[in-house]
Amino acid sequence: MLCEECNLRPAEVTVTTVIGGEKTVRHLCRVCMKKYQNGDMAQLMAAILSSMTRKSEDGDMACPDCGMTLSQFRKTGVLGCARCYQAFKEELKPLFARIQGRAQHAGRRPPTSPEELERIRKMEEVRKKMEDAVAAEEFEMAAKYRDELKALQNGKPQAAAQIKEENSDAQ
Amino acid sequence: MPSEHPIVLYSRVRLARNFSDVPFRSRMTHRHADECIERVLQVLRDEKDVYHYFPMRGIRETQRQKMVEAHLISPDLFKADDRGAALVRDDEKVVLMVNEEDHLRIQGFVTGLDLPAAAQAAYEAEDALERKLSFAFDETWGYLTACPTNTGTGMRASVMLHLPMLTLLKQMGKVTQLAAKLGLTIRGMYGEGSEALGHVYQLSNQVTLGRTENELVEAVTAVATQIEEMEKNCREKACEKDPLAFEDQLERSMGLMCFARKMSIKEFFVHWSNLRIASAMGKNSVPLSVCDLLLKRAQRSHILFESGRELTEKEIDARRSDMIRSTLSIYH
Repeated sequence: MLCEECNLRPAEVTVTTVIGGEKTVRHLCRVCMKKYQNGDMAQLMAAILSSMTRKSEDGDMACPDCGMTLSQFRKTGVLGCARCYQAFKEELKPLFARIQGRAQHAGRRPPTSPEELERIRKMEEVRKKMEDAVAAEEFEMAAKYRDELKALQNGKPQAAAQIKEENSDAQ
Repeated sequence: MPSEHPIVLYSRVRLARNFSDVPFRSRMTHRHADECIERVLQVLRDEKDVYHYFPMRGIRETQRQKMVEAHLISPDLFKADDRGAALVRDDEKVVLMVNEEDHLRIQGFVTGLDLPAAAQAAYEAEDALERKLSFAFDETWGYLTACPTNTGTGMRASVMLHLPMLTLLKQMGKVTQLAAKLGLTIRGMYGEGSEALGHVYQLSNQVTLGRTENELVEAVTAVATQIEEMEKNCREKACEKDPLAFEDQLERSMGLMCFARKMSIKEFFVHWSNLRIASAMGKNSVPLSVCDLLLKRAQRSHILFESGRELTEKEIDARRSDMIRSTLSIYH
Protein backbone atom coordinates (compact mmCIF):
# COMPACT_ATOMS: atom_id res chain seq x y z
CA MET A 1 0.00 0.00 0.00
CA LEU A 2 1.24 3.52 -0.80
CA CYS A 3 1.41 6.33 1.74
CA GLU A 4 -1.92 8.20 1.73
CA GLU A 5 -0.18 11.51 2.13
CA CYS A 6 2.56 11.54 -0.54
CA ASN A 7 1.37 8.66 -2.68
CA LEU A 8 5.04 7.96 -3.40
CA ARG A 9 6.56 5.82 -0.67
CA PRO A 10 5.15 2.58 0.77
CA ALA A 11 2.96 3.03 3.86
CA GLU A 12 4.68 1.62 6.93
CA VAL A 13 2.82 3.26 9.80
CA THR A 14 -0.85 3.35 10.70
CA VAL A 15 -2.04 6.49 12.48
CA THR A 16 -5.31 6.30 14.35
CA THR A 17 -6.73 9.60 15.56
CA VAL A 18 -9.76 9.79 17.80
CA ILE A 19 -11.22 13.25 18.14
CA GLY A 20 -14.58 13.68 19.81
CA GLY A 21 -15.40 9.99 19.35
CA GLU A 22 -14.70 10.10 15.60
CA LYS A 23 -12.01 7.64 14.53
CA THR A 24 -9.72 8.31 11.55
CA VAL A 25 -7.24 5.72 10.32
CA ARG A 26 -4.44 6.78 7.97
CA HIS A 27 -1.61 4.76 6.47
CA LEU A 28 1.61 6.74 6.09
CA CYS A 29 5.27 6.38 5.20
CA ARG A 30 7.93 7.24 7.79
CA VAL A 31 8.75 10.60 6.15
CA CYS A 32 5.15 11.85 6.29
CA MET A 33 4.75 10.41 9.77
CA LYS A 34 7.49 12.81 10.91
CA LYS A 35 5.16 15.73 10.15
CA TYR A 36 2.59 14.29 12.56
CA GLN A 37 5.20 13.71 15.24
CA ASN A 38 6.43 17.28 14.90
CA GLY A 39 2.90 18.33 15.74
CA ASP A 40 2.46 20.74 12.85
CA MET A 41 -1.29 21.17 13.07
CA ALA A 42 -1.71 23.16 9.85
CA GLN A 43 0.09 20.45 7.86
CA LEU A 44 -1.83 17.70 9.62
CA MET A 45 -5.08 19.41 8.83
CA ALA A 46 -4.16 20.07 5.21
CA ALA A 47 -3.36 16.34 4.94
CA ILE A 48 -6.72 15.29 6.38
CA LEU A 49 -8.48 17.81 4.18
CA SER A 50 -6.79 16.72 0.97
CA SER A 51 -7.51 13.06 1.74
CA MET A 52 -11.16 13.94 2.34
CA THR A 53 -11.71 16.10 -0.68
CA ARG A 54 -9.68 14.13 -3.19
CA LYS A 55 -12.80 12.12 -4.01
CA SER A 56 -14.90 15.09 -5.11
CA GLU A 57 -13.94 16.96 -8.25
CA ASP A 58 -16.04 20.06 -7.85
CA GLY A 59 -13.81 22.56 -9.65
CA ASP A 60 -11.95 25.48 -8.09
CA MET A 61 -14.45 27.47 -6.07
CA ALA A 62 -13.30 30.88 -4.85
CA CYS A 63 -14.34 33.10 -1.95
CA PRO A 64 -16.19 36.15 -3.36
CA ASP A 65 -14.57 38.48 -0.81
CA CYS A 66 -10.87 37.60 -0.73
CA GLY A 67 -10.47 35.40 -3.81
CA MET A 68 -9.02 32.45 -1.87
CA THR A 69 -9.66 29.30 -3.88
CA LEU A 70 -10.65 25.93 -2.54
CA SER A 71 -7.45 24.32 -3.81
CA GLN A 72 -5.35 26.98 -2.06
CA PHE A 73 -7.23 26.26 1.15
CA ARG A 74 -6.71 22.53 0.73
CA LYS A 75 -3.01 23.09 0.23
CA THR A 76 -2.37 25.50 3.09
CA GLY A 77 -5.09 24.62 5.60
CA VAL A 78 -5.74 28.30 6.34
CA LEU A 79 -8.67 30.46 5.24
CA GLY A 80 -8.40 33.86 3.55
CA CYS A 81 -11.10 35.82 5.38
CA ALA A 82 -14.20 35.47 7.55
CA ARG A 83 -16.38 35.15 4.44
CA CYS A 84 -14.48 31.98 3.38
CA TYR A 85 -16.44 30.16 6.10
CA GLN A 86 -19.62 30.73 4.08
CA ALA A 87 -17.98 30.18 0.69
CA PHE A 88 -16.48 26.81 1.69
CA LYS A 89 -19.26 25.84 4.10
CA GLU A 90 -19.84 22.40 2.59
CA GLU A 91 -16.11 21.57 2.69
CA LEU A 92 -15.76 22.80 6.24
CA LYS A 93 -18.62 20.83 7.77
CA PRO A 94 -16.96 17.38 7.47
CA LEU A 95 -13.58 18.92 8.29
CA PHE A 96 -14.92 20.29 11.58
CA ALA A 97 -16.50 16.94 12.34
CA ARG A 98 -13.07 15.35 12.01
CA ILE A 99 -10.75 17.84 13.62
CA GLN A 100 -13.06 19.29 16.25
CA GLY A 101 -15.51 16.44 16.81
CA ARG A 102 -18.39 18.87 17.21
CA ALA A 103 -19.89 21.49 14.94
CA GLN A 104 -21.85 23.82 17.22
CA HIS A 105 -20.18 26.63 19.13
CA ALA A 106 -20.87 26.49 22.87
CA GLY A 107 -18.57 29.16 24.27
CA ARG A 108 -18.44 32.91 24.78
CA ARG A 109 -20.14 35.22 22.31
CA PRO A 110 -19.88 38.88 21.43
CA PRO A 111 -21.91 41.13 23.71
CA THR A 112 -25.27 41.77 22.06
CA SER A 113 -28.38 43.52 23.29
CA PRO A 114 -31.79 41.75 23.03
CA GLU A 115 -32.66 44.15 20.16
CA GLU A 116 -29.48 43.15 18.35
CA LEU A 117 -30.25 39.45 18.74
CA GLU A 118 -33.76 40.03 17.41
CA ARG A 119 -32.29 41.86 14.40
CA ILE A 120 -29.95 38.91 13.67
CA ARG A 121 -32.85 36.44 13.97
CA LYS A 122 -34.97 38.59 11.61
CA MET A 123 -32.14 38.76 9.11
CA GLU A 124 -31.92 34.98 9.00
CA GLU A 125 -35.70 34.73 8.51
CA VAL A 126 -35.74 37.27 5.66
CA ARG A 127 -32.68 35.70 4.04
CA LYS A 128 -34.46 32.35 3.96
CA LYS A 129 -37.62 33.91 2.49
CA MET A 130 -35.49 35.58 -0.17
CA GLU A 131 -33.80 32.31 -1.11
CA ASP A 132 -37.21 30.57 -1.29
CA ALA A 133 -38.56 33.36 -3.51
CA VAL A 134 -35.57 33.01 -5.86
CA ALA A 135 -36.06 29.25 -5.97
CA ALA A 136 -39.74 29.79 -6.84
CA GLU A 137 -38.69 32.34 -9.48
CA GLU A 138 -40.67 35.09 -7.74
CA PHE A 139 -38.02 37.67 -8.48
CA GLU A 140 -40.07 40.73 -7.65
CA MET A 141 -40.72 39.38 -4.15
CA ALA A 142 -37.09 38.34 -3.84
CA ALA A 143 -35.98 41.90 -4.66
CA LYS A 144 -38.24 43.26 -1.91
CA TYR A 145 -36.83 40.78 0.61
CA ARG A 146 -33.35 41.81 -0.52
CA ASP A 147 -34.16 45.47 0.28
CA GLU A 148 -35.59 44.44 3.63
CA LEU A 149 -32.44 42.46 4.36
CA LYS A 150 -30.26 45.39 3.37
CA ALA A 151 -32.14 47.70 5.72
CA LEU A 152 -31.74 45.17 8.55
CA GLN A 153 -28.06 44.78 7.78
CA ASN A 154 -27.63 48.53 8.09
CA GLY A 155 -29.31 48.34 11.48
CA LYS A 156 -32.50 50.12 10.42
CA PRO A 157 -35.31 47.96 11.77
CA GLN A 158 -37.84 50.79 11.16
CA ALA A 159 -37.04 50.99 7.48
CA ALA A 160 -37.15 47.19 7.34
CA ALA A 161 -40.60 47.17 8.99
CA GLN A 162 -41.84 49.63 6.39
CA ILE A 163 -40.52 47.49 3.54
CA LYS A 164 -42.09 44.46 5.17
CA GLU A 165 -45.45 46.23 5.30
CA GLU A 166 -45.21 46.99 1.61
CA ASN A 167 -44.37 43.35 0.96
CA SER A 168 -47.47 42.23 2.87
CA ASP A 169 -49.56 44.68 0.86
CA ALA A 170 -48.12 43.30 -2.35
CA GLN A 171 -49.06 39.80 -1.27
CA MET B 1 10.92 24.63 51.62
CA PRO B 2 8.91 22.80 48.92
CA SER B 3 7.06 25.31 46.79
CA GLU B 4 3.41 25.36 45.80
CA HIS B 5 4.34 25.25 42.10
CA PRO B 6 6.90 22.46 41.98
CA ILE B 7 5.97 21.27 38.48
CA VAL B 8 3.96 23.95 36.66
CA LEU B 9 5.97 27.04 35.68
CA TYR B 10 3.04 29.10 34.45
CA SER B 11 -0.45 28.99 32.90
CA ARG B 12 -1.47 30.84 29.77
CA VAL B 13 -4.79 31.36 28.01
CA ARG B 14 -4.85 32.64 24.46
CA LEU B 15 -7.95 33.82 22.57
CA ALA B 16 -7.81 34.14 18.76
CA ARG B 17 -9.98 36.91 17.26
CA ASN B 18 -10.34 38.44 13.79
CA PHE B 19 -12.03 41.40 12.18
CA SER B 20 -14.76 40.37 9.75
CA ASP B 21 -13.98 43.14 7.25
CA VAL B 22 -10.22 42.59 6.93
CA PRO B 23 -8.65 39.61 5.08
CA PHE B 24 -6.75 37.07 7.19
CA ARG B 25 -2.96 36.90 7.16
CA SER B 26 -2.62 34.83 3.98
CA ARG B 27 -4.55 37.46 1.96
CA MET B 28 -3.70 40.70 3.73
CA THR B 29 -1.68 43.67 2.50
CA HIS B 30 0.49 45.98 4.61
CA ARG B 31 -2.34 48.49 4.58
CA HIS B 32 -4.66 45.87 6.13
CA ALA B 33 -2.03 44.98 8.72
CA ASP B 34 -1.57 48.64 9.71
CA GLU B 35 -5.36 49.02 9.93
CA CYS B 36 -5.56 46.12 12.44
CA ILE B 37 -2.81 47.63 14.59
CA GLU B 38 -4.42 51.06 14.44
CA ARG B 39 -7.83 49.71 15.56
CA VAL B 40 -6.31 48.03 18.60
CA LEU B 41 -4.15 51.05 19.51
CA GLN B 42 -7.17 53.34 19.25
CA VAL B 43 -9.10 51.29 21.83
CA LEU B 44 -6.15 50.97 24.21
CA ARG B 45 -5.55 54.75 24.19
CA ASP B 46 -8.78 55.17 26.17
CA GLU B 47 -8.10 52.29 28.57
CA LYS B 48 -6.78 52.78 32.09
CA ASP B 49 -4.35 49.85 31.78
CA VAL B 50 -0.93 50.81 30.45
CA TYR B 51 0.30 48.81 27.45
CA HIS B 52 3.77 49.02 25.89
CA TYR B 53 3.74 48.95 22.12
CA PHE B 54 6.32 46.88 20.20
CA PRO B 55 5.94 47.09 16.41
CA MET B 56 7.91 44.10 15.06
CA ARG B 57 9.50 46.12 12.25
CA GLY B 58 10.52 48.90 14.61
CA ILE B 59 12.56 46.86 17.08
CA ARG B 60 15.84 44.96 16.79
CA GLU B 61 15.91 41.24 16.08
CA THR B 62 17.61 40.59 19.44
CA GLN B 63 14.78 42.31 21.26
CA ARG B 64 12.16 40.36 19.33
CA GLN B 65 13.98 37.10 20.07
CA LYS B 66 14.23 38.09 23.73
CA MET B 67 10.43 38.44 23.81
CA VAL B 68 10.10 34.93 22.37
CA GLU B 69 12.49 33.56 24.99
CA ALA B 70 10.40 35.20 27.71
CA HIS B 71 7.27 33.62 26.14
CA LEU B 72 5.70 37.07 25.71
CA ILE B 73 5.31 36.52 21.96
CA SER B 74 5.26 33.44 19.74
CA PRO B 75 7.96 32.43 17.25
CA ASP B 76 5.31 33.12 14.59
CA LEU B 77 4.99 36.78 15.58
CA PHE B 78 8.79 37.04 15.64
CA LYS B 79 8.76 36.03 11.97
CA ALA B 80 6.03 38.57 11.13
CA ASP B 81 8.65 41.33 11.19
CA ASP B 82 6.98 43.30 8.41
CA ARG B 83 3.46 43.51 9.85
CA GLY B 84 3.19 42.16 13.41
CA ALA B 85 2.98 44.05 16.68
CA ALA B 86 2.85 43.19 20.36
CA LEU B 87 1.17 45.16 23.12
CA VAL B 88 2.42 44.17 26.53
CA ARG B 89 0.53 45.29 29.64
CA ASP B 90 2.98 46.83 32.09
CA ASP B 91 2.66 43.92 34.57
CA GLU B 92 3.30 41.47 31.66
CA LYS B 93 0.16 39.52 32.66
CA VAL B 94 -1.61 40.37 29.39
CA VAL B 95 -0.08 40.46 25.92
CA LEU B 96 -1.91 41.25 22.68
CA MET B 97 -0.29 39.94 19.52
CA VAL B 98 -1.52 41.70 16.39
CA ASN B 99 -1.19 40.12 12.92
CA GLU B 100 0.17 36.78 14.06
CA GLU B 101 -1.79 33.91 12.44
CA ASP B 102 -4.97 35.78 13.43
CA HIS B 103 -5.57 39.52 13.53
CA LEU B 104 -5.54 39.43 17.29
CA ARG B 105 -4.35 36.98 19.91
CA ILE B 106 -5.19 37.99 23.43
CA GLN B 107 -3.05 36.23 26.03
CA GLY B 108 -3.38 36.08 29.80
CA PHE B 109 -0.46 34.76 31.92
CA VAL B 110 -0.29 33.60 35.54
CA THR B 111 2.56 31.88 37.44
CA GLY B 112 1.91 28.30 38.56
CA LEU B 113 -1.18 26.27 37.80
CA ASP B 114 -4.12 28.68 37.65
CA LEU B 115 -5.81 28.62 34.25
CA PRO B 116 -9.05 30.24 35.49
CA ALA B 117 -7.03 33.31 36.55
CA ALA B 118 -5.18 33.38 33.21
CA ALA B 119 -8.54 33.09 31.39
CA GLN B 120 -9.99 35.91 33.48
CA ALA B 121 -7.08 38.19 32.52
CA ALA B 122 -7.64 37.40 28.83
CA TYR B 123 -11.44 37.92 29.10
CA GLU B 124 -10.98 41.32 30.73
CA ALA B 125 -8.72 42.46 27.89
CA GLU B 126 -11.14 41.01 25.35
CA ASP B 127 -14.15 42.73 26.93
CA ALA B 128 -12.38 46.08 26.79
CA LEU B 129 -11.62 45.57 23.09
CA GLU B 130 -15.04 44.17 22.24
CA ARG B 131 -16.82 47.18 23.67
CA LYS B 132 -15.46 49.17 20.72
CA LEU B 133 -14.51 46.57 18.09
CA SER B 134 -16.51 43.74 16.59
CA PHE B 135 -14.91 40.39 15.85
CA ALA B 136 -15.87 37.83 13.18
CA PHE B 137 -18.43 35.53 14.78
CA ASP B 138 -20.84 32.91 13.47
CA GLU B 139 -23.79 31.49 15.38
CA THR B 140 -22.78 27.92 14.48
CA TRP B 141 -19.01 28.13 14.37
CA GLY B 142 -18.34 30.76 17.00
CA TYR B 143 -15.32 33.02 16.60
CA LEU B 144 -13.89 32.64 13.09
CA THR B 145 -10.14 32.12 12.83
CA ALA B 146 -7.60 31.79 10.00
CA CYS B 147 -7.02 28.11 10.76
CA PRO B 148 -10.07 25.90 11.43
CA THR B 149 -8.15 24.22 14.27
CA ASN B 150 -8.82 27.36 16.36
CA THR B 151 -12.42 28.10 15.37
CA GLY B 152 -15.15 28.31 18.02
CA THR B 153 -13.78 29.56 21.32
CA GLY B 154 -10.46 30.48 19.66
CA MET B 155 -9.04 29.39 23.00
CA ARG B 156 -5.78 27.63 23.68
CA ALA B 157 -5.32 26.99 27.40
CA SER B 158 -1.73 25.92 28.11
CA VAL B 159 0.39 25.06 31.09
CA MET B 160 4.18 24.76 31.10
CA LEU B 161 5.26 21.66 32.95
CA HIS B 162 8.73 20.69 34.14
CA LEU B 163 8.85 16.90 33.72
CA PRO B 164 12.46 15.71 34.06
CA MET B 165 11.77 12.41 35.81
CA LEU B 166 8.96 11.34 33.49
CA THR B 167 11.32 12.11 30.60
CA LEU B 168 14.29 10.20 32.07
CA LEU B 169 12.11 7.20 32.96
CA LYS B 170 10.77 7.25 29.38
CA GLN B 171 7.19 7.83 30.50
CA MET B 172 6.45 10.73 28.15
CA GLY B 173 4.82 8.43 25.59
CA LYS B 174 2.33 7.36 28.23
CA VAL B 175 1.74 10.99 29.25
CA THR B 176 1.16 12.03 25.62
CA GLN B 177 -1.36 9.22 25.18
CA LEU B 178 -3.19 10.20 28.35
CA ALA B 179 -3.41 13.79 27.09
CA ALA B 180 -4.52 12.73 23.57
CA LYS B 181 -7.35 10.59 24.94
CA LEU B 182 -8.83 13.72 26.50
CA GLY B 183 -8.38 15.92 23.41
CA LEU B 184 -5.19 17.56 24.70
CA THR B 185 -1.71 17.79 23.23
CA ILE B 186 1.84 17.98 24.60
CA ARG B 187 4.55 19.93 22.80
CA GLY B 188 7.99 21.37 23.41
CA MET B 189 8.77 24.59 25.26
CA TYR B 190 7.97 26.99 22.43
CA GLY B 191 4.86 25.24 21.13
CA GLU B 192 4.29 23.55 17.80
CA GLY B 193 7.33 21.68 16.48
CA SER B 194 9.70 22.81 19.26
CA GLU B 195 11.94 20.73 21.54
CA ALA B 196 11.34 20.09 25.23
CA LEU B 197 14.44 22.01 26.33
CA GLY B 198 15.21 21.61 30.03
CA HIS B 199 12.46 18.97 30.15
CA VAL B 200 9.85 21.72 29.94
CA TYR B 201 6.67 20.79 28.07
CA GLN B 202 3.55 22.65 27.05
CA LEU B 203 0.19 20.93 27.66
CA SER B 204 -2.81 22.45 25.87
CA ASN B 205 -6.27 21.74 24.48
CA GLN B 206 -6.42 20.61 20.87
CA VAL B 207 -10.13 21.06 20.13
CA THR B 208 -11.64 24.54 20.36
CA LEU B 209 -15.20 24.10 19.05
CA GLY B 210 -18.30 22.74 20.75
CA ARG B 211 -16.97 23.09 24.30
CA THR B 212 -17.29 26.05 26.61
CA GLU B 213 -14.15 27.88 27.71
CA ASN B 214 -14.70 26.54 31.24
CA GLU B 215 -14.78 22.96 29.98
CA LEU B 216 -11.48 23.48 28.16
CA VAL B 217 -9.85 25.11 31.19
CA GLU B 218 -11.10 22.30 33.45
CA ALA B 219 -9.88 19.56 31.08
CA VAL B 220 -6.35 21.01 30.87
CA THR B 221 -6.25 21.63 34.63
CA ALA B 222 -7.39 18.07 35.39
CA VAL B 223 -4.77 16.48 33.14
CA ALA B 224 -2.04 18.87 34.35
CA THR B 225 -2.84 17.91 37.95
CA GLN B 226 -2.66 14.23 37.06
CA ILE B 227 0.69 14.64 35.26
CA GLU B 228 1.97 16.69 38.20
CA GLU B 229 1.20 13.76 40.53
CA MET B 230 2.94 11.31 38.17
CA GLU B 231 6.07 13.47 38.08
CA LYS B 232 6.08 13.93 41.88
CA ASN B 233 5.81 10.15 42.36
CA CYS B 234 8.68 9.53 39.97
CA ARG B 235 10.84 12.06 41.84
CA GLU B 236 10.07 10.49 45.21
CA LYS B 237 10.74 7.00 43.89
CA ALA B 238 14.08 8.03 42.36
CA CYS B 239 15.03 9.64 45.66
CA GLU B 240 14.01 6.55 47.70
CA LYS B 241 15.62 4.07 45.32
CA ASP B 242 19.12 5.54 45.44
CA PRO B 243 19.23 8.72 47.55
CA LEU B 244 23.00 9.11 47.16
CA ALA B 245 22.94 8.93 43.34
CA PHE B 246 19.90 11.22 43.21
CA GLU B 247 21.36 13.91 45.46
CA ASP B 248 24.75 13.61 43.79
CA GLN B 249 23.12 14.35 40.42
CA LEU B 250 21.39 17.45 41.80
CA GLU B 251 24.40 18.73 43.75
CA ARG B 252 26.79 18.28 40.83
CA SER B 253 24.60 20.56 38.72
CA MET B 254 24.48 23.14 41.53
CA GLY B 255 28.26 22.93 41.80
CA LEU B 256 28.79 23.48 38.11
CA MET B 257 26.37 26.36 37.98
CA CYS B 258 28.05 28.02 40.94
CA PHE B 259 31.65 27.61 39.80
CA ALA B 260 31.88 27.08 36.02
CA ARG B 261 33.42 29.90 33.98
CA LYS B 262 31.62 29.16 30.71
CA MET B 263 28.43 27.29 29.93
CA SER B 264 26.73 26.51 26.63
CA ILE B 265 22.93 26.75 26.45
CA LYS B 266 22.70 22.97 25.97
CA GLU B 267 24.68 22.33 29.14
CA PHE B 268 22.69 25.01 30.96
CA PHE B 269 19.37 23.26 30.25
CA VAL B 270 20.68 20.00 31.78
CA HIS B 271 21.86 21.67 34.99
CA TRP B 272 18.93 24.06 35.19
CA SER B 273 16.57 21.06 35.15
CA ASN B 274 18.43 19.50 38.10
CA LEU B 275 18.51 22.82 39.94
CA ARG B 276 14.74 23.16 39.59
CA ILE B 277 14.13 19.61 40.88
CA ALA B 278 16.29 20.37 43.93
CA SER B 279 14.44 23.67 44.56
CA ALA B 280 11.02 22.04 44.15
CA MET B 281 11.94 19.27 46.59
CA GLY B 282 13.37 21.67 49.14
CA LYS B 283 16.91 20.32 48.70
CA ASN B 284 18.41 23.78 48.26
CA SER B 285 17.43 27.30 49.22
CA VAL B 286 17.01 28.65 45.67
CA PRO B 287 13.41 29.89 45.26
CA LEU B 288 11.55 28.50 42.24
CA SER B 289 10.93 32.06 41.04
CA VAL B 290 14.73 32.50 40.81
CA CYS B 291 15.05 29.22 38.85
CA ASP B 292 12.40 30.39 36.41
CA LEU B 293 14.07 33.79 36.08
CA LEU B 294 17.36 32.03 35.27
CA LEU B 295 15.60 30.09 32.51
CA LYS B 296 14.84 33.38 30.73
CA ARG B 297 18.04 35.27 31.51
CA ALA B 298 20.39 32.46 30.41
CA GLN B 299 19.07 32.44 26.89
CA ARG B 300 21.03 33.87 24.02
CA SER B 301 19.07 37.01 23.21
CA HIS B 302 18.70 38.02 26.85
CA ILE B 303 22.50 37.90 27.16
CA LEU B 304 23.03 39.78 23.89
CA PHE B 305 20.40 42.38 24.80
CA GLU B 306 21.97 43.02 28.20
CA SER B 307 25.48 43.33 26.79
CA GLY B 308 24.24 45.87 24.25
CA ARG B 309 26.76 44.74 21.63
CA GLU B 310 27.59 41.77 19.37
CA LEU B 311 29.29 38.87 21.18
CA THR B 312 31.16 35.78 20.00
CA GLU B 313 29.79 32.36 21.01
CA LYS B 314 32.61 32.02 23.55
CA GLU B 315 31.75 35.40 25.10
CA ILE B 316 28.06 34.46 25.30
CA ASP B 317 28.93 31.23 27.16
CA ALA B 318 31.18 33.16 29.54
CA ARG B 319 28.58 35.86 30.23
CA ARG B 320 25.91 33.20 30.80
CA SER B 321 28.13 31.64 33.41
CA ASP B 322 28.83 35.00 35.07
CA MET B 323 25.12 35.71 35.29
CA ILE B 324 24.31 32.28 36.77
CA ARG B 325 27.16 32.50 39.30
CA SER B 326 26.16 35.94 40.53
CA THR B 327 22.47 34.96 40.75
CA LEU B 328 23.18 31.81 42.75
CA SER B 329 26.00 33.26 44.89
CA ILE B 330 23.70 34.09 47.80
CA TYR B 331 22.21 30.59 47.92
CA HIS B 332 25.25 28.41 48.64
